Order: sequence, then C-alpha cells, then structure tokens
Amino acid sequence: MNLFRHDLHTLTGVYALDVLEPGAEKDRFISHVRRCQACKAELTGLQEVATSLAVAAAAEPPAAMRARVLAAVARTRQLPPEIRSRSLSRPRGFKLAVLAAVATAAAVAIAVLAIIQINTARQLSQSRRQSLAIAAVISAPDARILARPTAAGGVTTVVVSAARRELIVTTEGLPAPRRGQVYELWLIGPPRVRSAGLLPAATAGHIGPILATGIVPGDKLGLTIEPAGGTAQPTTTPIVVVPLPS
Amino acid sequence: MSLRNPDRSRPRLPGAEQGGDQELDDLLVRVGRGDQAAFELLYDRLAAPAYGVIRKVVRDPDQTEEVAQEVLLEVWRCAARFDPALGSAATWAMTIAHRRAIDRVRSTVAAAEREQKTADFRVPADDVAEAVEASLDRERVRRCLGGLTEAQRESITLAYYGGHSYPEVAALLGTALGTIKTRIRDGLIRMRDCLGVS
Repeated sequence: MNLFRHDLHTLTGVYALDVLEPGAEKDRFISHVRRCQACKAELTGLQEVATSLAVAAAAEPPAAMRARVLAAVARTRQLPPEIRSRSLSRPRGFKLAVLAAVATAAAVAIAVLAIIQINTARQLSQSRRQSLAIAAVISAPDARILARPTAAGGVTTVVVSAARRELIVTTEGLPAPRRGQVYELWLIGPPRVRSAGLLPAATAGHIGPILATGIVPGDKLGLTIEPAGGTAQPTTTPIVVVPLPS
Repeated sequence: MSLRNPDRSRPRLPGAEQGGDQELDDLLVRVGRGDQAAFELLYDRLAAPAYGVIRKVVRDPDQTEEVAQEVLLEVWRCAARFDPALGSAATWAMTIAHRRAIDRVRSTVAAAEREQKTADFRVPADDVAEAVEASLDRERVRRCLGGLTEAQRESITLAYYGGHSYPEVAALLGTALGTIKTRIRDGLIRMRDCLGVS
C-alpha cells in the first residue's frame, strides 16, 4: 500500500507539466491528492515551476493579434463563475457526483432493460430498435462507464463499447441552456470532428440515454453550447471532453 | 510559504518587476467582472508567455497565432472561474495555453509529422536560451534549468515544450516509465528550490 501511495505521489511532476494522459492513473492521482495535503502543496509549487517554463519561452506575438483579441473580447460573453467545481479543493461534491453518475448509469441500464421487456410483445418499432441498440452497448463485454463533471455543472456519463463502435450518453444536473442555445454532442477524432446530435431537454434534471454510433479509435466525446439548431462544427470550448478507450 | 506573498514566492512574468504577481491576480479578478480595460493590461502581461509556450509546442506560426488567440479569448470568457486560492493567475492562464497547444498538436498534426519533429526537441538548453531575453525572470529560469542534470532537463523539455505525454517521453528516451516520473519530479523540485518558489 505504501509502495502504491509512493508511486502515485511521484506523479506530481508529470501532472504539474500537464503531460499525464487522462485515464485510470490520472483519476487515481487526483483522488489521492485530494486526501494528501503534502501532495497538494508540492503540486502547487511544481505548477508554478511549469509556469516559469512558459515565461522562459516568452516570445512577442504578432502586433496585429492584440487588436484581433480585443475586438473578439468586446463581442464575447463571459461565462458565469463556477458554482460546482471539479477543483481539487472540493472533493466531496465531486465524489458524490461520480457516485450519483454511476448510480444513474445503473438506473439507466435497469430502465432500458425494463423497456425491452415491456416491448417484447410489441412490434419492432423505431424506439425499440433504439432501446435494443442501447442495451447492446450496455451489455457489451467491453462496455466501460466513464463519468466526468462538466464545466457548466452536472455530470456526463458515457457507456462505451469500443468493439461495437457505439456509446450512450446520459447527463445529470446539467443546467438548462440559455434561451436560443442548445447542447451539442461531438465525436472529436483525429481525422475530424463530427456532430453526434443535440441533447434533448432534461426531464427532472436528467437527459438521455442518447446513442452515438460510428466511433473510431482516438475519438473523444465532447459537449459544447451552441446556437439553437446546432452547428456543423463546434464554435465554443467544450464544457466536457471524455477520452474514449480505443 | 504563503502564495499571497508577491515577492519571490512565484515566478514572475516579464514586466512584473514593480507590481509582483498579486497585481496579476487582481487584474484577472477584475477581468472576471467584465472589465475590458483590465483585460488589456492582462493581455500585455500574458500574451508573450502564452504565445511563446504555444509556439514551442505547436511550432507552426499560423497555428500558434490561432491557438494563442483562442487561449486569450478563453482567459476572458472563463476569468470568473479563476480561484486565487488554487494558484496564481499566471499558472491558471499558462495551464490553459499549454493544454490548448497540446490539444492542437494531438488533433491536427499527423503522428508521422510529429515523429519527424521530435529530433528538434533534443536540443533543450539552446532551445530555451534562444528565447530568453534580458529579463531577470527568464535569466533566473534559464540558470535554474542549467542547474539540472542533462537527463532531468531533457525529460522536462521533451514533456513540456515537446508536448509529449510521459509514456511518450519514456519511449523517446528508451527509459522506464517509473524513471521518467521520478526524474521529472526531481528536476522540477530542484528548479522550485532554485527559483525560490514556496
């Protein structure tokens, strides 16, 4: 156990340089740091060192960039402060959120299976095909559940089967989009970014399950806020990005 | 010890000689409340290091400028989410810059092309020296980088400026994963002590 802890602790350096890839190791490290005051202090110091590396690399940007950025700033709306944060200082909320997300995913699985039971006697409808597809993802031998808090609040839970090249998405506690805006899902791949559809309105704070197909290795799932009707390519920074197993 | 102490507790950005980093934190907080004049001052302090670190990682000048603009706009958009209790404004902004630079190379540059460029990252000391101007801060960072072992410096520059994940650094150097982790940590700790970061 001590050896294990020590091993996690040595990740402060690579985490500070932001070269620790998303995955189980990073998740374990983050949850370790939340409980370890010494690690947190060390990490803060090493992150400042990383900043000094940026300072050492400083180079004068093209002069025209300043005017362009200031013009963009003048017409860009700012995000409100984060109330629920994934920051290291708020461990409990995050943990609960993840637990809730996993519980939600389990509930979704049960609900989906129930839907299938109910539907067996009926004709093969579109919705049933959808349900079957969702159930197939959930019951795939390689299915993995990934939960991530979003920058807008709430949690996105993804059940993904790399073998089936399909995933399902649910969200919990995502704030309703502003008037004239909508949440759009993206498959962010090395070849290109594809829309995976718009999120429907929430029912009691819950959205989904939504099925996305045609995942290719290296894809990440992203969620952005877009103008109503959606866009062909994302126009804002994703509020959550979930790297998918390939 | 306290991060609130502007003197020597943090690496300073160029032009920070008078006000220290408390001033930068305050600026970012004002920007978070929609203060565009504060953003202009913030831009003049952050644009050069952000542009510089993005250029290190991305290399291509056009893409560098594109990413730098996105990053500075993101600083504006997300300023209200900056929490001074969790670290300095400079670190907050440089983390975004470095992250976006890595996102860019991961998503748009073909793997093969990056492999070719790897060779460029293997001259870390000179690479840094070329960018360093007569700023006390940069001088200090360079001196502290110079105080690392060759192996530590190589691992840190490959990771941070090269934008490589640490398993990639291990593969490039033919070194065990565990060794790279410790080497990067040991090197950063030595730099921290050299820079006088608390």
